[in-house]
Amino acid sequence: MAPRQSTPRAVLACGEVRTTLLPARQALDIRSAAGLLALRADERVLLSERPGLYARSPATLTGVDCPLPSANGARIRAVGTVTAHAALTEGRVLQTSAHCSLPATGPDQRRPWGEYLVRPGVVEPLGKLPHEAVARGVLDGPRRGDLDVGLIADGLLTRLLRHPLLDQRAPFRSRPTRLRWAALPAAPGEGPSLERFTLAEDELRTVRLRVPEDTAATDLATLCDDLALHDWLLTTVVRMLDGVRLGATAAEDPGAAVRALRPAVDHLLHLWMPGARVSRELAPLWAPLEERPGFTRQWQAMVQRIRDQLTLHTVQAVHREAEPAP
Amino acid sequence: MLVFAASDKGGTGRSVTSANLAYQRALTGDHVAYVDFDFGSPTAAAVFDVPGAMRGAKEHGLHSYLEGETAEPVRIDVWRQTEHPLLRTRPNQSGRLVLFPGDIGGGEFATGEEALERCVDLLLRLNSEFDVIFVDLSAGRSYAVDMVLAATAHPRMRALPFRWLVFHRWTRQHVIAASGLVHAEHGILRGGVERGHDEDALRAAIRFVRAAVPDPEAPSGPQVSSAQATWMQACDEALRRLAADHRIGDSVVLGIVPLEPILQWQEQLITEEDVLSTQIANKETLEALEEIARRLTDDTHWGRL
Repeated sequence: MAPRQSTPRAVLACGEVRTTLLPARQALDIRSAAGLLALRADERVLLSERPGLYARSPATLTGVDCPLPSANGARIRAVGTVTAHAALTEGRVLQTSAHCSLPATGPDQRRPWGEYLVRPGVVEPLGKLPHEAVARGVLDGPRRGDLDVGLIADGLLTRLLRHPLLDQRAPFRSRPTRLRWAALPAAPGEGPSLERFTLAEDELRTVRLRVPEDTAATDLATLCDDLALHDWLLTTVVRMLDGVRLGATAAEDPGAAVRALRPAVDHLLHLWMPGARVSRELAPLWAPLEERPGFTRQWQAMVQRIRDQLTLHTVQAVHREAEPAP
Repeated sequence: MLVFAASDKGGTGRSVTSANLAYQRALTGDHVAYVDFDFGSPTAAAVFDVPGAMRGAKEHGLHSYLEGETAEPVRIDVWRQTEHPLLRTRPNQSGRLVLFPGDIGGGEFATGEEALERCVDLLLRLNSEFDVIFVDLSAGRSYAVDMVLAATAHPRMRALPFRWLVFHRWTRQHVIAASGLVHAEHGILRGGVERGHDEDALRAAIRFVRAAVPDPEAPSGPQVSSAQATWMQACDEALRRLAADHRIGDSVVLGIVPLEPILQWQEQLITEEDVLSTQIANKETLEALEEIARRLTDDTHWGRL
């Protein structure tokens, strides 16, 4: 059996991102972040300080040989490797992300393992890939035993959360989110587009993309990490504001609103930088989200609301002090 | 905060009372998780009235999770998935109420190192997400009790506050058994110390809840003669002495849930409607549950002894 030379073109890329608050009292500095994310001895953690503190682990590979999820019930076996990495933004928000890309066709029989290892992050079907059905299957959620990149992201997250650098004292309560994505080829000559962004369940989001055929899967993963990060920020701050009782009930305990909103100011408000790490080709994909529902618009409104609440509290405090004691 | 619900015997009202406490905390705005570690006889699904949702929990429940067969245990959003007509309209300003069921048909199992690590992972993750986490434990010195004793002594769990509630009924046998569960040679305290807990700190984190307690002062109606009433008062007095002698006297009692007829018939949540509109439940029961729920995080009820 002669080894095959070229990698066939991918017609589907899919992945899943987990986003969570780092369970540590203090945000990790760049050196600790590098320590946390040193998943491999032979490769360095990517660190950058502009436009914000960001660390990304080297990629790890997980071998898979299992059926693909598919919406039409077809059981297509696929073999290859899923790539996964972790990222830490401002030493505060931890993400793990796993993805793979799939070519339109693969060999009818399983090849020697070495042939798959030379194509990291590629999972090849045995035979033809019904990519539209598999994309739907991925977004609907795999059945037990199917390829589940989310499990790989979750396994990496579990491993990182056990790290001794983490004191398990998160500064506030929040919920992790999952973002599942699938990217299909765009029509020839078309640019990238975002077909759908849905809030499927409380903490699950699904994203369906169309991208030109030569788009690198790692760029897609970076884009989806970025979407997941900002969606998590929005979700978390919305919930924080939801939990605060304003108006009449707030008068009973004027400090309550400050205590509830302070973590947002301390840890989250400065993290909003949509698109900062996204490749130039994929940057336009942010535009539809900015238009409707308007991610940044909602964020600005919330930031303003938080600042207003804090200002109100300060004014009240000064007012109380100025009043003569009875 | 983690709240472990334990009892020496079955039928003490442990599950139904702790489910009601979870419900009460959620009503006050806390995000609450209810973790069903009652391996063997999971009842939480019945109390929260989520039988339909349980069908999906067949193989992704807590057993499968602890044994490493499933990465994330299934979660049931009670407000959304309950079949109880009153619970489905989630009250304004209430927090989330999420049930983590055991697997249907899963029994007790031996725990190993990896199951313990996974238990710690789970409790830490829940703690980062929920304000209060109720963990319902199988009766007696079960594997579940041992596992959470080991988990709370684990170095990764050092920062997590936890409290224990030991439920018992108000009879001689139950008082002695509840005391034994905590204080005896093979009790929770000794077991905790063996796993690295500080004995005084652990003791200070344990309170008792007397459940299904008849009121000896109840007016003697047609069903209770004055002779019976006198006898009941004497009995109550004797039980108090017995409890005190067994180190589970009033000073370590977090609350008393009165005997509630509807709970004798059916394990369920007691809602305000049950008391005010349909009047099938007693006001005193609801008040007792509200008060115990409040005291869970009121440190004045958890002073060191």
